[in-house]
Amino acid sequence: MRVNKRSRTRLLVATGIIIIVFVIGVVYLVQRQGAYYSQVADLTTGQYDGKNVKVGGRVLDGTIERDESGVHFEISDLTGKPDTVAVTYDGQMPNTFDAGVDVVVMGKYASSGGLITAEQLQTKCPSKYEGQASPAAQTGP
Amino acid sequence: MIVLGRLSLTLALVFSLASVVFLLLGVRWDRKDLLRNGYYAAYGFFLTTVIASAVLLQAFLKKDFGFAYVAENSDASLSVFYRIAGFWAGQQGSFLFWLLVLAIVTIVIAVLDLNRLERLTGGAVAVLAIISAVFASLMVFDAGSNPFLAAEAGMQPFGLNPLLLHPAMVLHPPALFIGYVGVAVPFAFAISTLLLGRADKLWVRRSQKWAVAGWLFLSLGIGLGAWWAYVVLSFGGYWAWDPVENTSLVPWLTATALLHSFTLYKSRGLFKHWALGLAAATFWFTILATWTTRTGVIQSVHAFGTRPLLVWILSGFLIVSAAASAGLMAWRWRRFASHDEVQSWLSRDFLYYVTNLLLTLFAVAVAFGTVVVPLLMDKTVGTSTYNTVAQPLGVLLLFLIAVCPLLAWRKTEGSELRRTLILPAATMLLSAPLWLYLGFQSSVWGFIGLLVCGFALGAIVQFVLRSARLAAGPGRSLWSGLGRAFTGSRTRTAAYVVHFGMVLIVAGLLGSTVYKQESSGLVSTKVGSDDAVFVTDDGEYSFEYKGTRDLPGEQSSTRYVAEFEVVGEGARSLGTVEPRTDIYPVAGAAVRAVILGRPFQDIFVVTDEPFDGESETIALRVAVFPLIQWVWIGSILLCVGAVASLWPKGRTQEQEARETQVAGDADGAGHPDGAAA
Repeated sequence: MRVNKRSRTRLLVATGIIIIVFVIGVVYLVQRQGAYYSQVADLTTGQYDGKNVKVGGRVLDGTIERDESGVHFEISDLTGKPDTVAVTYDGQMPNTFDAGVDVVVMGKYASSGGLITAEQLQTKCPSKYEGQASPAAQTGP
Repeated sequence: MIVLGRLSLTLALVFSLASVVFLLLGVRWDRKDLLRNGYYAAYGFFLTTVIASAVLLQAFLKKDFGFAYVAENSDASLSVFYRIAGFWAGQQGSFLFWLLVLAIVTIVIAVLDLNRLERLTGGAVAVLAIISAVFASLMVFDAGSNPFLAAEAGMQPFGLNPLLLHPAMVLHPPALFIGYVGVAVPFAFAISTLLLGRADKLWVRRSQKWAVAGWLFLSLGIGLGAWWAYVVLSFGGYWAWDPVENTSLVPWLTATALLHSFTLYKSRGLFKHWALGLAAATFWFTILATWTTRTGVIQSVHAFGTRPLLVWILSGFLIVSAAASAGLMAWRWRRFASHDEVQSWLSRDFLYYVTNLLLTLFAVAVAFGTVVVPLLMDKTVGTSTYNTVAQPLGVLLLFLIAVCPLLAWRKTEGSELRRTLILPAATMLLSAPLWLYLGFQSSVWGFIGLLVCGFALGAIVQFVLRSARLAAGPGRSLWSGLGRAFTGSRTRTAAYVVHFGMVLIVAGLLGSTVYKQESSGLVSTKVGSDDAVFVTDDGEYSFEYKGTRDLPGEQSSTRYVAEFEVVGEGARSLGTVEPRTDIYPVAGAAVRAVILGRPFQDIFVVTDEPFDGESETIALRVAVFPLIQWVWIGSILLCVGAVASLWPKGRTQEQEARETQVAGDADGAGHPDGAAA
């Protein structure tokens, strides 16, 4: 009986250590790498300078340019405010990307130059896709 | 017809509720007549659900655009195959499909039990009927979830989203839904056995095959989804850690742990709490997946305002099922205690335990990042964060599943352990030159992970050899035992195949994420000019533009095909690749990637934006994915392994199974059915 009890305690301690290490690791990662949800208009307040942000906006007509370093465009605020922000992105463009399309970009924001260097770019698809953030969303349960 | 569909759905709801009432009373009072009536009500539920589904299916086949749902997900130009796929292309139809699979599974369980009329199975069918009632009421009461609404006058058919025009996308949603229903069965039996307080093995025996089938279809669904994303979505990857993908991965992880817990529960009466908890968690995560992808609450809290019924019904179901499972488990905690404790770190028991723990933590972490972080912390995490967690955890889990079968139960002697580890250590060292040849020394962590893959391969071979030696018995040749090692136990054979599949998948995932090489640039369409050649950043491949042609495509689209000649090292031509743009008259343009398969890698070629015959430049993007084919081969092996363990047993095996079954029943006799319930 005593052996049993000791092995049980050992197991619980080991489990506790694994869980604590894991939880601390995950929370630390989220704090460090997580991006703040914000609107284009919020960026002008300066509080997000140098931070990871995730911003939704509408791609402005005539701002899309492409060169060797990637794609550059501007997005406007979705809540009706007049602010805009520049985005540069060097990754695979989603199929539905175009002027006038709503996109969600995630990346680091620099207030000097008002530029988001995006790591991820998703398009919000036309009404057909029920407002989901990616075409894959349509196919889930 | 719309009226018939709606009426059948309403009746399905009534029948499922009736079934719940009869069955619960039958279980409570131990009355077989009530259980039988409950099953008859389930027949009614099955029939009405089949009628409702048939109505929707015929509407798709007959192009009846009077159904709003048909008009939204189909059009006259689609082939029969894709018209059928329209059934589950949207939310309303996928709920109905889910209900149909639930009805089929429920009726199979009920029919099998009709001459036994067990309380345990009666309770489980009652739980399945409750789940069915929730889905039926979603469709009946929430207009946005009802597939039987009339189209508005003058509504034009939308057609199917062009991205979904792919066989993998036709099969991916049903595979996932079947998987979700499969894992609902162990949940139903877990709740029933908790209610009855039966801590014997019967509930595991009744639900294990369903759990394996559920796991098989989840694996298939996730694999098909990843493959579709790779070849169709053309974003230069197969896994974006998108909420839809994440929420289907989470139940797969817990279901994997559940299958392992079942094995130990059945063979040695261990891991009873794990089995119950994982059965409940796996089911709960499938509902969480639906809640996440269908309510849109994660994208915007305003979803509460726009679709109140959908959100409240699903949220309520999440809360009630979690509270019921947790409450029942707390109530019955002592009765389900296992008497055997983990005695040594170096035992198979302990590694099973750690594997379970890590799989669960993995699932919780993914769910946390997908649901809790955006909802409560107002933040969001990207691919790199998920990879930071998933890569080391995946490698660690692979190491555990490699070592686990080599250890003895309870305690392993040091000398024996050293002997069994010789072969895995050898294959690990032997794999190193291959990884070096492929240039994988550029990442230390990736290299270590791949060495673990080499180790795991040897461990599986060692596992097979040891089983063969045991099967052959003393004095007989190893070869005679080898056949029996594979045919002896289906579970063990499945373990070889699935674990080998996992080695390939982990190696493939590491190769194609850690060592992915991507470059992009603009290519002039002036054939023969210097600008018409694109060279990858590492200089390994060059692509020379040869011309663009156009072809007619699906749904009256035009397909533009650009031809590039690929030249590898030493000016050797590797053939041509033809990235495409499909231009649709209504839905706009879609770029399509092409993949050039090479030994040990794929060259993935796509354009960054649509092009046509008039484009002056083409924005070319080239990604090299090492070892990615191994992911697909490994995924197929997972399914093959699961099918092997589901395959009907031969006569001698059936005999054995019956003997153990008798032993199992004797084992359960200590807990009379429903004592103190």
